[in-house]
Amino acid sequence: MSTHEPVNILMVDDQPGKLLSYEAILGPLREKLVKANSGREALEYLLKVDIAVVLMDVSMPDIDGFQLADMIREHPRFQKTAIIFISAVHLSDLDRIKGYERGAVDYISVPVIPELLRAKVSVFAELYRKTQQLERLNRELEQRVTERTEELRESESQFRSLANSIPQLAWMTHADGSIFWYNQRWYDYTGTTLEEVKGWGWKIVHHPDYLDAATRKFQLCLATGESWEDTFPLRGKDGNFRWFLSRALPIRDVNGRIVRWFGTNTDITERKQAEEALVKSERLAAMGRLAGIIAHEINNPLEAISNAFYLLRDHPSLDEEARYYSKLAEEELGRVAHITKQTLSFYRESQRAIALALAEILDNVIELQSRNLHMHSVALEKRFRTQGQIQGYPVELKQVFLNIIGNAVQAMPNGGRLRIALRESSGRKSGRRGFRVSICDTGVGIRPEHAKRLFEPFFSTKEAKGTGLGLWISKGIIQKYEGTIRFRSLSLAGRNATCFSVFIPTSAATHPTEIAAMVA
Amino acid sequence: MGQHKAVILCVDDEANPLALRKLVLQKAGYEVITANSAKEALALAAARNFDLVLSDYLMPGTTGTELAEQLKAEHPKLPIILISGVNELPAGSTIATAFVSKIEGPDALCREVASVLNLPPEICEN
Repeated sequence: MSTHEPVNILMVDDQPGKLLSYEAILGPLREKLVKANSGREALEYLLKVDIAVVLMDVSMPDIDGFQLADMIREHPRFQKTAIIFISAVHLSDLDRIKGYERGAVDYISVPVIPELLRAKVSVFAELYRKTQQLERLNRELEQRVTERTEELRESESQFRSLANSIPQLAWMTHADGSIFWYNQRWYDYTGTTLEEVKGWGWKIVHHPDYLDAATRKFQLCLATGESWEDTFPLRGKDGNFRWFLSRALPIRDVNGRIVRWFGTNTDITERKQAEEALVKSERLAAMGRLAGIIAHEINNPLEAISNAFYLLRDHPSLDEEARYYSKLAEEELGRVAHITKQTLSFYRESQRAIALALAEILDNVIELQSRNLHMHSVALEKRFRTQGQIQGYPVELKQVFLNIIGNAVQAMPNGGRLRIALRESSGRKSGRRGFRVSICDTGVGIRPEHAKRLFEPFFSTKEAKGTGLGLWISKGIIQKYEGTIRFRSLSLAGRNATCFSVFIPTSAATHPTEIAAMVA
Repeated sequence: MGQHKAVILCVDDEANPLALRKLVLQKAGYEVITANSAKEALALAAARNFDLVLSDYLMPGTTGTELAEQLKAEHPKLPIILISGVNELPAGSTIATAFVSKIEGPDALCREVASVLNLPPEICEN
């Protein structure tokens, strides 16, 4: 250190003249000179102020130099205080001085050579000053270490509360990718313990269909040091999977070596559902527009042709034969109109899916059928365990249930029981959450040879009465909702039961479901 | 039919459907005057009285709904039936007295016209 901080130099001699001469010799050193006339006075100074160097005469009355040195050395605070004896050279004195070799001790023989005295004092003063500075530096360092430790503790606790307050699940891994820490949200969502999921134990909450790909991708990033990003479902403690966008960044030390990875999982289930719903509703809207255009283009000429045949009906210029041909043509045209209406008109509603309750749709259909039920003496049993809130198109759903319920009633010409149930459920294969509507009747049942063809277009058991399109269209509608429509027909001891089961999912697919081809 | 035949203004931009619709209505005993645009229909309606306007919905320029609005402004009591090949009930179509789908055929049209004119449905049976 370049700054010269004066240190205290204690000069001890019973002769004031000598003290004055030492003062003159040491003056140029620009240190602080303290004079003591006796050993006792010297001790008092030593206790009061920090002394860098003691310069003392060996022969003093009262306490001599050696006695004073012994006393100084006994005190732990002064063990390292430098002592310079001034003495006439006696052999015995030299021996005693050697006895102090351990400490900073020196001697100057009389007559005192000013340069020598100045040089020796200067060395010790400088040594003292350096030691002082080192000690101060050391204390400062210790202070800083204490402060830093406190800061670190604080910053770690800040990190923890931050990590626990973010909406994401978060975790940290060692350089090899094994996880050693998760935030509270991870435990809250997965219901796991650190014991179960540390290291590579997190695999237990992954969906088996996505685990291999996710692990492979993560390991690739561990190997290359590139940041990781992936999307996959994770199982919550309730057993349901939700979709997460997962990211991890490598954390490097000063040398650029990866020491750990910090990762998060962000729940994107809702976003994914919204996106899927948007895609679906856009597709439906496009289908609706297309159906509208086709319907319009067919309906316009259809009306003109129907009108032409209508005019021909009883036209006087036609003979019997021509009138017969015209009648046939008009009848066939009626079929064209009927099919157009059946296939293209279920888009006849708003182009946007709306929030609706399946319970209401079913109640609506039941009301439409109430007269029919009464006429055929059909007893109705209704078991709605939920409102069945979904996004959809009311008219087409009504068409589906009207179809199934209408079929059921027609299957019971001599009366029977009709049970309509609505409950929360999940897809048999997909595991998706949703609602199931089951419609069971005690009617004539479905013959096994008909069962396979039930959903085929133009298949009808109702002879002339049906178009054979009802269930085919219903299936097309339910497939648009990524749902399923199934049936079972049982016959036991002459008693039949036929159940149609319609499942409409509400949650995002955990499997990338092939969207079934829609009704063209 | 009574002492005076009901007069219908029939509007469509397409010639064949318009001609055939006119014949169907004439067969039912109405007097029919045709217009092939909303503009022509408005001019005719200003020139004489009609008992009913039967207009196509989708026409280039002015739609049937817009035509109905303009006619209603001038002739608040004039009944208007919109006929269309489109599937969904168009927005604003409630301004019309009735809406008929082309797919329902001549019999349905005839019944609707009779109903709007407060005539018995038997008028359509010939």
